[in-house]
Amino acid sequence: MPALRGFLWLLGFLLLGETLVTLTGLPVSAGVVGLLLLTGWLRLHGGGLDDIAAAAQPLIAVLALLILPGVVGAFFLLDALAGQWTAILAALIGGTLLSVMTTLALMRRLMGEPPAAKEGDA
Amino acid sequence: MTALLDHLLTTPLLAIALTLAAQAAGARLLQALGAPAWCPSILAAALLLAGTLALLSIDYADYRRGAAWLMLLLGPATVALGLPLHQQMPRILALWRPLLACLPVAVALAAAYAVGIAWWLGAPPEILAALAPKSVTAPIALGINAQIGGPVSLMMGGLLITGVAAVGFVSLGARLLGIRDERLIGLALGLNGHAIGTVRAFEIGPVAGAFASLGMSLTGILSALFLPLAWRLLGA
Repeated sequence: MPALRGFLWLLGFLLLGETLVTLTGLPVSAGVVGLLLLTGWLRLHGGGLDDIAAAAQPLIAVLALLILPGVVGAFFLLDALAGQWTAILAALIGGTLLSVMTTLALMRRLMGEPPAAKEGDA
Repeated sequence: MTALLDHLLTTPLLAIALTLAAQAAGARLLQALGAPAWCPSILAAALLLAGTLALLSIDYADYRRGAAWLMLLLGPATVALGLPLHQQMPRILALWRPLLACLPVAVALAAAYAVGIAWWLGAPPEILAALAPKSVTAPIALGINAQIGGPVSLMMGGLLITGVAAVGFVSLGARLLGIRDERLIGLALGLNGHAIGTVRAFEIGPVAGAFASLGMSLTGILSALFLPLAWRLLGA
């Protein structure tokens, strides 16, 4: 059962991440540390790639479902914004608009057009 | 009726079923509307779910307790994003120089614009602190929040509004600037819209998804390292 073996790999990296975060006290999440450890592992060693893919692909496919309970929470905490509505919404929406535009413009300038010759597709 | 509902809520099954149903119904609804690019499927699902909870008068805290079983999978799912990152590594390495130059600036601006606007409109310091990690993925944002302060619920709400807004603005901006490059769109989605943007990027394609994962994780790490430091230096 490749998917279960792969899930064990993912849990292993997650627990390793949790251990590192706890020991170093960095305000980074165990999941992101596990993500980087997994990427590094696959790059340097590549062990268990097929098993990991069998578990990772379905999990990524349901990522939207997994964040849904948290997203719904936004509709139930609107009272918490009391009194600062305009400043908060202007900051979030205006700030996001500005930063998205800056990111897109900056990266297009720095990265240029997609190099059709250099394909390293996986 | 309420007794039955209370009984059904004693196990996580109802909350999980409602979440799955909202996801399926949201996808169906968007398909019927012709899948508009400005509306991420998660927004439709979230609206349906919020409506259902309100209609059945289920307390969000009760729902959340059951749905925590689903959210437990978020940890391994975050780790799983390492796979597309690995698969796209040649494309990422080919761009390491512009990425290195661009990411810190973009990450700093994502926080600075929002904090600047709120400050200009006269928001008090604790609200500024809650808005600063707005583009950071939730588990890391909670860690940053513990260091710089501000109401947690406001911070979480800020993350969600930012994620949904980023999805809309990236598709708008890409059209205005004539950008079709999946790498750019993915990076902008992950960098500005954390997990919500990354989910959207995987809907666009695997390359966009991998670059969004990269943008999300690097934004998280850079913010975790430098936001608390910057906050202290600004003396807020």
